Amino acid sequence: MNKSALIAAALLGAACSLGVAAQEPAAPAAETVPWETWQAGNEVSNVASLQRGFRNFMNYCAGCHSMKYVRYSRVATDLKIPTGMLKADLLPDGAAPADYIHASLQGQDGVAWFGKEPPDLSLIARSLGVDKSYRFLKTFYLDPSRPTRTNNLVLDAAAMPAVLSDLEGVKAAVFRDVKVTVDGRTMTEKKFDHFVTVVPGRMSGPEFDAFLRDTVNFLDYAGEPAQVDRRSIGVWVVLFLLVFTWFAWLLKQEYWKDVH
Amino acid sequence: MASNDAEYSPGFWGWLNKRLPVGKFMREQLLEYYAPKNFNVWYFFGSLALVVLVMQLFSGIFLTMFYKVGETTSFDSVEFIMREVNYGWLLRYLHSVGASAFFVVIYLHMYRALMYGSYKAPRELLWLFGMFIYLALMAEAFMGYVLPWGNMSYWAAQVIINIFGTIPVIGPGLVEWIRGDYGVADATLNRFFSLHVVAIPLVLLLLVALHLVALREVGSNNPDGIEIKAHRGADGKPLDGIPFHPYYTVKDIVGIGLFLTLFAVVVFFVPTFGNLFLEEANFEPANPLSTPEPIAPAWYFTPFYAILRAIPNQRLGALLLLIAVMAFFFLPWLDRSPVRSIRYRGWWFRGFLAVFTISFGALMWLGLKPVTVAYVNAARVFSVGYFAFFLLMPWYSRWDRVKPVPDRVRFHE
Amino acid sequence: MTDAEASADQELVDADRRKFLTAATSATAAVGVVFAASPFIASWQPSERARALGAPVTVDLSKLEAGQMIMPVWRRQPIYVFRRPPELVAQLAAHDARLKDPKSLDSEQPAYAMNERRSRRDDIAVLIGVCTHLGCLPKQRFEPGDAQLGTDWPGGFLCPCHGSRFDLAGRVFNGSPASVNLRIPPYSFPTENTLVIGEDGTNAASGAA
Repeated sequence: MNKSALIAAALLGAACSLGVAAQEPAAPAAETVPWETWQAGNEVSNVASLQRGFRNFMNYCAGCHSMKYVRYSRVATDLKIPTGMLKADLLPDGAAPADYIHASLQGQDGVAWFGKEPPDLSLIARSLGVDKSYRFLKTFYLDPSRPTRTNNLVLDAAAMPAVLSDLEGVKAAVFRDVKVTVDGRTMTEKKFDHFVTVVPGRMSGPEFDAFLRDTVNFLDYAGEPAQVDRRSIGVWVVLFLLVFTWFAWLLKQEYWKDVH
Repeated sequence: MASNDAEYSPGFWGWLNKRLPVGKFMREQLLEYYAPKNFNVWYFFGSLALVVLVMQLFSGIFLTMFYKVGETTSFDSVEFIMREVNYGWLLRYLHSVGASAFFVVIYLHMYRALMYGSYKAPRELLWLFGMFIYLALMAEAFMGYVLPWGNMSYWAAQVIINIFGTIPVIGPGLVEWIRGDYGVADATLNRFFSLHVVAIPLVLLLLVALHLVALREVGSNNPDGIEIKAHRGADGKPLDGIPFHPYYTVKDIVGIGLFLTLFAVVVFFVPTFGNLFLEEANFEPANPLSTPEPIAPAWYFTPFYAILRAIPNQRLGALLLLIAVMAFFFLPWLDRSPVRSIRYRGWWFRGFLAVFTISFGALMWLGLKPVTVAYVNAARVFSVGYFAFFLLMPWYSRWDRVKPVPDRVRFHE
Repeated sequence: MTDAEASADQELVDADRRKFLTAATSATAAVGVVFAASPFIASWQPSERARALGAPVTVDLSKLEAGQMIMPVWRRQPIYVFRRPPELVAQLAAHDARLKDPKSLDSEQPAYAMNERRSRRDDIAVLIGVCTHLGCLPKQRFEPGDAQLGTDWPGGFLCPCHGSRFDLAGRVFNGSPASVNLRIPPYSFPTENTLVIGEDGTNAASGAA
């Protein structure tokens, strides 16, 4: 065999093995998706994010969920939304800017349609937590056995349907069997492993994550609107107290020279 | 008449002092009160407790201007304060962080007494007044926590009132009497409001006054545990004493400054303190149909709660909880050591105190955890460590090989 | 320098330093107390709920007949809104001599109400229905000539508490215990038949007054 033929054979062999390698599925993920550690990563001081979150809330959540301690006018002031824009684009019909955010869904309908009244979300960021809320919104999966056809990893048998599936897409959850020991007894449990996309949504993965981050950011703000002020005032207070303590310390040292 | 007048300064000050001994009081309590000169860091916590008390009174009074007590209004009014009252959020956090700060300060204050024997004669009554203040403070904190009417408020009330049901014979009737209803309800909330805002603060103020008068009478102890009045100078003043003013006024101000700085960091940056000072469950309204999980009282009660849960028998558990708190009352009489301060005590006392300290801390941590076999077993072990400190004290305090106590104070060991 | 003199000098230096440090610490503490007190004092200002409830009130005037008065509430105060008959409006200038403050120089009203009619328009009167004496609500006595008030009564208000009398522009008559005219709130007419009390295009209306 001449050299060129050898080289050609080698190149062809290399191409074949690469091709084979390309067709082989990527090595299966040996680790479970660590959904319990997902974090929202939101910043309450980011006003642009809060504005988007508020818009998201009004579009996707306020139909069923009220925020009975939150006034539209207060949100507009804190989020720097001009009153005109508030009235034109964000305020529902019949609501005045000074009103609290009330859901369109009236009391008994919620119970009739979903089995329970959708809870008020004013304080959800403080009772459930920002990160758990984020995970809740991100872990809806297909479950034909449920009336809503979906289930949720954070809140098992949630009455809430997957309202964001238009944006996120529809996904199914894959579980695996796992042995668990509790108080001396060993049992087999189904543990979540990973999601599989069934129908893609309008948003890509990172886009949807950003959408959720903004929304949860708004929930964080709504839970405690004063928090940004609180932290900025706090900086001055602590600095002042340090200065005061330093003066007091010098004074004490001076007087205690007498004592030996 | 004329000679009497000559004793007083001219002007308003003289006019006032002829009718009310303001100057005399200030002189006697500040300038002529001699305190030991070797106070260390453990001696800040008394004045800090007073600062926290004043802060709680102020923030509490202002909160009461906006809070609306009632099953249907309490929770909403707290959110009204947090969101719509100008600086309402600050009033609320000062009060909620202040409550926990009170217990931090008080536990350290009490620990000083354990280390230096400040409860021993002639200071037994001073110690008892302090213990009554501690009891009143626990009642005040418990009732205050119920007022927001969150879910943890409701269930804490339910569980703790039920403990009284374990008292033989009168238990069940007593529980209904405390509640004023068949379950924890509006009646309970309303009476807790009255007790928390009016009755117990008055009792606290009275007890604090008595505590201070008793202290003035016997004089402060010190880290060496020796009586400074035993050695007086030519002027009749204790050789190891210094006038409270200006030395301890100026030193306490530094302590207050440092405390307020730390306090401000918490209030402004971590007011919930990782779910310890304001629990997540309390941001949901009270729900008689849904118990929060895990359920635990506030951190300052959890050592006793852990002891309660460690005992498999309900009645016995409640009894042991009572003994765990009441044991402190008997310290002046359990302690048979001739020596006050830990500096001159032997290794028995140091060992038992160390075990007690570790046990108290461990029980506090365990009380916050859910009930599992491992945790309950651990709580049993540490309960033994807790009770051993008190129950065995009459013996080990006598066995201890004490070191010779110096005549005059030393600044450190 | 002897030892005694040196230590005397030393003490002198100490005293000055002590005075300075005491002054510095006290001054800082005083500033701190003022700052600490301010949130407590600020908490007494009207809350956001009070400010929201004090929002402007819209009134429909299309059904209001001549001589008829309605009483909407704005910021917890009764507002007298009534349609004056045109013939009585013309007579408002006639009795200036009987009034304490006919030109409203001492009374409280927005700039557009500082005229004879004390209003933006001839026909609609908007007054705060609180007697400027001690705060009772004056009763309407719109009919001119009245058995109790006299045949020269031009129409207006009589306060039942202490007898103050006001004309149809809210101006106070001589002989009344009240000394100034009835106050006027900020208001405007976005359309012919709509009255908005509390909003007149200036900032004065939107503050926590």
